[in-house]
Amino acid sequence: MKYQNYLIQRYLSKRWAPWAATLAVTLGVFSLLTVLAVMEGFKIEMRDRIRGTLSHLVVEADPFRGLVGEDLLLEAIQGVEGVAAAAPNVTTLALYKVGVMDHCVLRGVDPIAESQVSDLARFLLSDSEINMMLRDRYMLLPPEREPMALEQVEQLFSLKRRREVMRWRLEEDPGSGFSVESPPQAIIVGIEALRSFRLQMGDVVQISSYSPVTLEPCSGNFLVVGAFQSGVYEQDLRWAFTDIRALQNTLELWDEDAEDMRLSGISVKLDDYASADQIKVDVRREIERRMLLDESDPESIPMRSPSYETWEDKRAHLIQAVEIEKRIISVLMLLIVAFAAGMIFLILMLLVIEKQRDLGVLRALGATRGGVVSLVLRQGMFLCTLGAVLGLLGGWIFLENINAFHDWVYDMTGLRLFPPDVYYLERIPAILRWEDVLLVCLPTLIFGFLGSILPAIRAGRQDPIKALHHE
Amino acid sequence: MNELSAALPVISARKLVKSFPMANGAELKVLRELEMQIHESEMVAIVGMSGVGKSTLLHCLGLLDSPTSGEITYRDDSRTWRSSDLSEEDRCRLRNHFIGFVFQFFHLLPDLDVLENVLLPTFISQETGEWNKKRSQFEARGESLLERVGLKGRERQAPGTLSGGERQRVAIARALMLSPKLLLCDEPTGNLDSRTSESIHQLLRELHQDLSTSILVVTHDPDLASRADRRLQMIDGRFRSESDNQQVTDSS
Ligand SMILES: Nc1ncnc2c1ncn2[C@@H]1O[C@H](COP(=O)(O)OP(=O)(O)O)[C@@H](O)[C@H]1O
Ligand SMILES: [Mg+2]
Repeated sequence: MKYQNYLIQRYLSKRWAPWAATLAVTLGVFSLLTVLAVMEGFKIEMRDRIRGTLSHLVVEADPFRGLVGEDLLLEAIQGVEGVAAAAPNVTTLALYKVGVMDHCVLRGVDPIAESQVSDLARFLLSDSEINMMLRDRYMLLPPEREPMALEQVEQLFSLKRRREVMRWRLEEDPGSGFSVESPPQAIIVGIEALRSFRLQMGDVVQISSYSPVTLEPCSGNFLVVGAFQSGVYEQDLRWAFTDIRALQNTLELWDEDAEDMRLSGISVKLDDYASADQIKVDVRREIERRMLLDESDPESIPMRSPSYETWEDKRAHLIQAVEIEKRIISVLMLLIVAFAAGMIFLILMLLVIEKQRDLGVLRALGATRGGVVSLVLRQGMFLCTLGAVLGLLGGWIFLENINAFHDWVYDMTGLRLFPPDVYYLERIPAILRWEDVLLVCLPTLIFGFLGSILPAIRAGRQDPIKALHHE
Repeated sequence: MNELSAALPVISARKLVKSFPMANGAELKVLRELEMQIHESEMVAIVGMSGVGKSTLLHCLGLLDSPTSGEITYRDDSRTWRSSDLSEEDRCRLRNHFIGFVFQFFHLLPDLDVLENVLLPTFISQETGEWNKKRSQFEARGESLLERVGLKGRERQAPGTLSGGERQRVAIARALMLSPKLLLCDEPTGNLDSRTSESIHQLLRELHQDLSTSILVVTHDPDLASRADRRLQMIDGRFRSESDNQQVTDSS
């Protein structure tokens, strides 16, 4: 009926309090949306980084028994439908010493094979890039940079490269006791290990670990010949790569029973990651089948019990941490919306009490109970919806310009709200998803409805005679 | 007006009982098997002591309250409604179209201007689209009613800026907006000084002459009561009518 919109218009045009409720809804929706979008952007950004140098699928051995039968394993895995490539690795926790002592996760890889299963080639840095990064501690590899070519990767681990680095090093520091002719094995460290000055290019580091075979300490010398940047601080500080054969020898991984060198695991790249869970099962089935074959069978693989995980399985806790963070913050921000709905409730309640007589008159002139209920309900929903729309619009405009805004704040105050060194994020990532918009709007409208329905029902319940009785 | 419709009452109440529960559990019987009828174009005055139940009767007749027992019948040229089988929707429609209310305390909506107050019954009966189509028609009627009650040119004024008598005139125009069959006035001058009251009485009598609306007015004013077609005195929850014997012959 016409009176409802007409009266709402009149009531609202003569009062400011209802607009305060709208403003509260606007702010609530605005902040909720902003937080969700930034958290989502952050999550996506982190997901890429968290994956780091992991391949799609990882077959990982029990550290004390390892895996043996490298060629057979690779052959078995590559035979599974959907597998694009597979590469062996040896991974160990190690201490290293260069003046100070520190620890790292040292991974022995076949440089060419590894480049085909993981993003290693994408993260490896050229000498000029290393120099630039050492000068600018916030510098990040641009995402569009081409991965390093396979020949270059091979080069990096080659004897020629080691000799070159060694020669260059000896020029600066002749008394190190190593010769250019037989340099130590190559090691490639994360850029943060160089930046933190624990390590330098050309350093010879002594690496100590335990051999899982002999259970005795073992050690070897490695020459820092290169660096990588994965974009995750922890990895770039702690991870190091070397040649798989060199590490197998250093760790004395000769397995007497199988008469073969042990592996720590096999990295697998898939044609399509979307079917990873199925392929994981297929790979497992194939390897287990071969392990159960009679030893005399040429396909037989010595019995071990590795685990089979996708990279997301392996990083589940980290991915979940960001997801849970996002959820917790959304729930907290939802309180702002709830508060706004509470304001709508109070304002409508006051209005219903103030306008008791008007409502009685309307009823006496023929308005139905439902009509009066809807008069109040509509008003509440109007305030709430308007607030939500303004908040959405504001949030959207803000998110579109969030980095310009951030720069502006930086220019005005010198304050970095979002310091780039923590996560290497130069820009604030913000991704506004439809799901999140819905996740904001739906509860807002529901809260708004809950805040409006009680005053509306009270207005409907009111006895018109009583309302008209008192002056 | 034809004979038949003149003979049939616009509203009639039969054996109307209204009682309120009291705090001590007993019942307060306000209306006791009250009988009454009002014919087309009749002006009836109700007098009685304060607290006797006049307002209660008007609330029941005006469908703002339901009687404890008994029946009220509403009748226009084409239809008859019985209070016992009215749906909530019918009650609202009758309040809107059939009955006009004038209260002691005017009860204008302060957020609307004078003309909007007069148009309020149309706002209630019409959807926005329908109303907008008939807008000029409604506004013309509202303006002519305001002119009729002597408030020409005051359409855009806020009710708060009017005197008591003027507010009651607006309220009367509002009650007449949808040409109701019956106007219920509960002490319309109870809150006004005697000179203003006199002019409101004058207006009511004039309107009664002009329009075919029946008027039921509760009043303490002997002058107004005496000039009505009939005067009903309420005592003890019923009427003792001084003109009962003339009722049939008077109805022309
Ligand atoms: N809702 C109610 N509950 C209880 N008693 C009521 C109620 N409404 C009216 N009464 C009582 O009914 C009687 C008649 O009241 P009313 O019709 O207002 O009298 P009046 O003739 O002065 O208009 C009074 O005694 C009043 O106290
Ligand atoms: Mg009264």
